[in-house]
Amino acid sequence: MIFQKIRPWLTRLYPRAWRERYGAEFDALLEQCLHSPLDVVDVFLGALDAHLQLWAGENVNWRMMNMVNKLRTTILLVFTAFIGFVIAGFGLVGLADDSPMIPLMQTNTPLAVSWYMIHAGAIVAFLTVVIGGLPLVLTVIRKAFTTNRRNLALLLVPVISLLVILAYVGFIFLVWTGRIVLPGVVQVVQPGFFPVGNRWLMEGLMLVFILGAAASTWAVWKAITATDTQRETFHIPARTLTVDIYRFAFVPAVIASVSMLVMLISTLVWGWISFTALPQVFFGNFGPWLTNTQIWYFGILVLMFLCTLMAFIGLARGHKAGITA
Amino acid sequence: MEAPEFGRFSDPAILILASLAGGEKHGYAMMEDIKATAGVTLGAGTLYGALSRLEQNTLIKALPADERRRPYRLTPQGAVFLRQYLTSLEKFVSLGLKRLAA
Repeated sequence: MIFQKIRPWLTRLYPRAWRERYGAEFDALLEQCLHSPLDVVDVFLGALDAHLQLWAGENVNWRMMNMVNKLRTTILLVFTAFIGFVIAGFGLVGLADDSPMIPLMQTNTPLAVSWYMIHAGAIVAFLTVVIGGLPLVLTVIRKAFTTNRRNLALLLVPVISLLVILAYVGFIFLVWTGRIVLPGVVQVVQPGFFPVGNRWLMEGLMLVFILGAAASTWAVWKAITATDTQRETFHIPARTLTVDIYRFAFVPAVIASVSMLVMLISTLVWGWISFTALPQVFFGNFGPWLTNTQIWYFGILVLMFLCTLMAFIGLARGHKAGITA
Repeated sequence: MEAPEFGRFSDPAILILASLAGGEKHGYAMMEDIKATAGVTLGAGTLYGALSRLEQNTLIKALPADERRRPYRLTPQGAVFLRQYLTSLEKFVSLGLKRLAA
C-alpha cells in the first residue's frame, strides 16, 4: 500500500524526456508490480541509468520521441490558436457589419488597407492550416479506420458540431421566414431596436458555434495525440510520397502564426483609426444586436492577443524539435 | 539447491527478446512470462532500461497503446539477433555438456 502511494514520485525520478515517452506505460506497470523495497530500489537504479544515458549524451530514441511530442504539441497549439482566431474573426465581422465603419472605409484608405490586411491574414492562415494539416488529418483518419478505431468517435465530433450549427442556422431561417413563430421574436427588425427574443436567438447561435468549435478542437487534439505515427506514406497518381507529418506542418504553422500576428496588428490599427474618426461609435451600441461597441472590440482584441501568444509559445516550444526531429 | 547465476546469459534484454518471440506483450505480461519460463523476476526499472535500449536498436517495436499499457513486438532484426545469440549459446551448451560427459 505504501509503495503505491509513492508510485507517482518514483516515476518522476526519471528524466522528463524519458517520462514523455515511457511515463504512462511505466506507471501502469508499477501499479501491478510494486510490492517490496527491492522493487523500489530497482526503479531508483533504472532512473539513475536513464539520467546517465542523458548525461553521457547518448542519442537515445526516447529523446528523439520527445522531440516529436514537442513538435506535435506545437502544431496542436497553433491549430487551437487558429480556431480561436476564427471565433474572433466572426466577432469582428459582426462588429463591422452594418456599422458606420463600413462607409468610412470607402473614403479612408488606411482604414480600408488595415481591413483588407485582416482578410489577407485570414486567407493565408486558413490556407496554411489546411495545407500543413492535410497529411496529418489524412493519417489520423486512415489510422482510425485501420488500427485506432476509438478515434472514429472523436472524429465524429467535428462532423456532429457542424451539423448542429447548420441545424441551428436552419432553425433561424425558418423563424425569419415566418414558418416557425417564437414569442418575442420579430421577422423584421427596425433600425435602432433589437428585440430581446431576436437577441437570444443570435446569442444562441454564437454559443452553439463556440461550443462546437471548442468540442471539435478538443476531439481533434485527442485524436491526434492518440495516433502513434510521425511518418506516413501516401500514394497519389504516378507518385508515392513519404511525409514526416509533424515536420511538414511546422513551416505552415510558422506562417499561420505570423498571419495571426498580422491580423492582430491590423485589427489594432483598424480599431484605432475607426474610433479616432468616429468616437461616438466607440462609446455607442454598434456591436452585433446593438450591443456595446467597446466590449465587443476589446473582447475580440483580447481573444486575438491570447491566440497569437499561444501560437508563438507553441512555436518557441517546438522550434528546436522542428529543425531536428 | 539454489539456481546458479548465469551472468550475461540472464541478460534482461535477451529474456525480453525471447519472451517477445512468443508473441507481442506489454510490460507486465513480459515480466510474468519471463518469470514463468526462465524463473527470473525482472524489476520494472530493469525491464524498461532494457526495453528502451532494445527499441533504440530497433530489435523490438512499440505498438499503439492499449489504454495506458503499450505492447511491444519483436522486429525482424530482433529475431535475427536472438537466433544468432541462441545458436551461439547452443554451441556453448553442447560443448560444456560434452566436456562434462568426457
